[in-house]
Amino acid sequence: MRSLLNIFKKIRFKKADIPKASPPDKMSFKERYDCFQNLLVDNNSILEIQADMEEKLSGDYIFDMHYVDSRCDILVEKVQSLIENLNSLSNGEYLGLYDAFERINSGIKDTLIKNIEIPVTDFTIPFEDVTKDMVRSVGGKNANLGEIKNRVNLPVPEGFCISSHAFKKFMDYNKLGDKIDISSVDTDSLVDLTSASKAAQNLVLNAGVPPDLEKSILDAAFELKRKTGHRAGGFYVSVRSSAIHEDTQFTFAGQYKTALNVAPEDVVSAYVEIIASLFTSRAIFYCKSKGFHVEDMVMAVGVVEMIDAKASGVVYSRDPTDEGKRGIIINGVWGLGKYVVDGIVKPHSYVVSRDIPMPILEKNQPVQPFMLICGLEGGAIDVRVPDYIRRMPCLSDEQVTTLAGYALVLEKHYGKPQDIEWALDLNDNLLILQARPLRIITGKPSMPVPRSLPGHKILINKGQIACKGVGAGKVHFVTNDEELKSFPEGAVLVARHTSPRFVTAMNKAGAIIADVGSPIGHMASIAREYGVPTILNAEIAMKTLKAGQEITVDAINGNIYEGRIEQLIEAGKKDNTFKDTAVFEVLRGVLRSIVPLNLIYPEDEKFSPQYCETFHDITRFAHEMAMNEMFKLGEGAHRRKGGAVKLVVKLPLDIRVIDLGGGVENGSDKKITVDNIACIPMRALLKGMMAIEWPGPPPVNVKGLLSVIASTAMQPNSEKSLSESSFAVVSREYMNFSIRLGYHLQTLEAYAGDRINDNYIRFLFKGGGASHDRRARRTRLIKEILEKIDFHVERTGDVLDGRVTKYDRASIEKKLGVMAKLTAFTKQLDMTLFNDAVVDWYIKEFIKKHYVE
Amino acid sequence: MAKIKNLKGLMIPITDYPHMPYWATLEEAVVLLNFSYETAHDTILVFEESYRLIGVLDQKEILRDIHPGFSKLSPEKVSDKWEKLISTHNLDQLKKPIKDFITPFNIILDVEDHALKAAHLMLKHDIDLLPVKESEKIAGVVKMHDIFHEIATFILKS
Repeated sequence: MRSLLNIFKKIRFKKADIPKASPPDKMSFKERYDCFQNLLVDNNSILEIQADMEEKLSGDYIFDMHYVDSRCDILVEKVQSLIENLNSLSNGEYLGLYDAFERINSGIKDTLIKNIEIPVTDFTIPFEDVTKDMVRSVGGKNANLGEIKNRVNLPVPEGFCISSHAFKKFMDYNKLGDKIDISSVDTDSLVDLTSASKAAQNLVLNAGVPPDLEKSILDAAFELKRKTGHRAGGFYVSVRSSAIHEDTQFTFAGQYKTALNVAPEDVVSAYVEIIASLFTSRAIFYCKSKGFHVEDMVMAVGVVEMIDAKASGVVYSRDPTDEGKRGIIINGVWGLGKYVVDGIVKPHSYVVSRDIPMPILEKNQPVQPFMLICGLEGGAIDVRVPDYIRRMPCLSDEQVTTLAGYALVLEKHYGKPQDIEWALDLNDNLLILQARPLRIITGKPSMPVPRSLPGHKILINKGQIACKGVGAGKVHFVTNDEELKSFPEGAVLVARHTSPRFVTAMNKAGAIIADVGSPIGHMASIAREYGVPTILNAEIAMKTLKAGQEITVDAINGNIYEGRIEQLIEAGKKDNTFKDTAVFEVLRGVLRSIVPLNLIYPEDEKFSPQYCETFHDITRFAHEMAMNEMFKLGEGAHRRKGGAVKLVVKLPLDIRVIDLGGGVENGSDKKITVDNIACIPMRALLKGMMAIEWPGPPPVNVKGLLSVIASTAMQPNSEKSLSESSFAVVSREYMNFSIRLGYHLQTLEAYAGDRINDNYIRFLFKGGGASHDRRARRTRLIKEILEKIDFHVERTGDVLDGRVTKYDRASIEKKLGVMAKLTAFTKQLDMTLFNDAVVDWYIKEFIKKHYVE
Repeated sequence: MAKIKNLKGLMIPITDYPHMPYWATLEEAVVLLNFSYETAHDTILVFEESYRLIGVLDQKEILRDIHPGFSKLSPEKVSDKWEKLISTHNLDQLKKPIKDFITPFNIILDVEDHALKAAHLMLKHDIDLLPVKESEKIAGVVKMHDIFHEIATFILKS
């Protein structure tokens, strides 16, 4: 197939192609920063494509192989680019990612090949050798019949399949794949459809059958005749379509042709006619409207001994019009079953109880005026029903019960209600001709979820939908790990922001709501994997909802209602008919190598390339590492200090600025002012700092009276540290600022751009000075304040590492304003932290004063 | 004859004594003393940026600074309701940095000095608290409370 070649081309990734990492000095900061930015773009694209593919899994969309194919192509390209950028940024620190990539990509390749390719098989395959996993070779109907014969062990007619490989041979031999083009057909124009159909059908009917295929079919047909021992009057077969998409949840049923009562020597021409029926206007319309391309239209054919049926009909293992009823329904007519299936006559009908001993509950035996029987010379003819049987039941009670029994066996085997065709031959043998899933009209008409419900209070109607669906339960706030661990079954998870750590509650959550977060972020992806209805950016959920409150989350219209509304929950349940198709399986298969996130905790030792199992893992790992690399880059710049320009500003800090590009505008080489700063995060931080009332000078009358230094200070070179400069590495969106204030070193790194996924703030605090107890108290103070402003903080001794990610630009700027206040606030606060009660007071004070929601 | 103890054994180490920077507010001073109530400390040590000691702030001074005219009120004006005595002016005072209210230190003792020397200075200057240094660093403070206790032992023995 055309697309297969493309896959091979793109994924062959030669290690020789990796650019040799430049020595550290050669690659400038600017170049590395560009790699970082490119990586962020890649990261975003990957997450978006992933989200789009996951959305398709919801079952609400129809798509085809080309969609899956093309998405995979782009993903592969972006992931490669991501890895290259990371390695450029870091001087090749992460070459292991290439191995991970190869490994995962092979998996995807295998899935795609397995499903796009038509398996190479014999041209004909007898039913003895067929089971239900052979759909790609023999089509749905045939695979099913083989399954019923060989695994369920019910009586079916003898026969063989003409495989999809044979079909491909036929198409290729005649170059029909190129000659037939339905891609440009306008399905709204009947004229267009009809002419395209005529053209295609003509091509097929006039095509030649490859000699080896013809021989194979005839051999199989005569072998079948030999096997069944021909009955009096000759041996005939029925030739039926068995398309690859047929008889799954698409009702292709009846779309393609069936030829009845065909003589063995005519099987080949019947075969060609059936292939031509792939291209009737009705069939083309149906295929196109479901989003299939001509390459997806592959057909296998079944050749089955013609049962000269005394009687035939259908069995429904459940009442298709009322799923509440438990009876098995059997319809039958004299003669061939086509008259039942096509609804030509009113059939005899029976209702049988499914409970042992399976009594017949109802019988209905209308008089049948005419029937369809096999003609002596082939074909089927319509005749009057003879008087002596006209008033007789076409099935004996025993036969009815037997059929009901078969229905139950089939239902149990497939795990769903069955629609079965049966026939009774001239020797009174019951045979199963076909079985497929039964479409039941559910009691409630499938209505869309209403946009609003009068009589029910809407608590919140803001937010973005990250995973569609309707869920309900009691509110359970999650603000720390403890609350996550204690998450109760069926509750609704409500949090300020998203975190991949929530995965531990996903199996139990009825729904998820967060005040901020990205619908293409990691947690959103995991929520879609688990199918948990999720609303993000609700803004006011933490403040509006109450713990334990019963709510219904309509993540289809974006409403959160008070109380549990059963009506909405029911309406939200999906009709998953697309989910059983082959193409759906392919998407599900490839997504297994793309979406699941295994690398959740960066601090875990398993957060490394060898443990990456999906593209999502690679992406997350690369993003984390890229941020670390940028951080190191900033530190390196500070050490180098080259090209730093003094910032003139009224603050008790000596600030030097290094511009990576776009961070400073119109400044001179010697000094710049705040107005020259174009860096978005830096501006926000400076604004916050300048609004602070910094401590004034010490009181005049007491200065210099005592020149001793308190023993709380552990810095012997205190004078020197006090005068060290603070360095800021900036670009337009990026800032890495090492602040020296008092005896402390704080590094504040931030990225504030237009894409929410790129944005983050990282805060590193290494406090000097003070006795052990006070340092500990100060560390606690800062940690708790940071956590109250939504940071995730890791503490190692006296070092605090806080991170906040995925907020929009305005929120990042606001947080930086608060960080500015925190910087000043903690200036030598350790002196005052006499005990824990004092610490608690200061935490409250800071939040009260500086963090107004 | 028994020697009287030196200050090393009698002083309260600086880490165990309330202290704050000069830019802290009166309100913070109140908080600090309030939360260290059980220790019975009544004075805060005040430092500047490089941890130089510049003075003290005691409880009486704090009350005086919150309500400057309080001690001069005639007895009948002293209400039993706090709100009646407090105006917005007083609340504004709370926001002021303590640097304006510090009593500077003039005297410093050394850890090797003995208790009687401390007592002498305290009586001479009428103060209950003195800072103690140890090799050019403030190591702690001594209170009359502890000095008295040390001397009392000797008084009662003789």
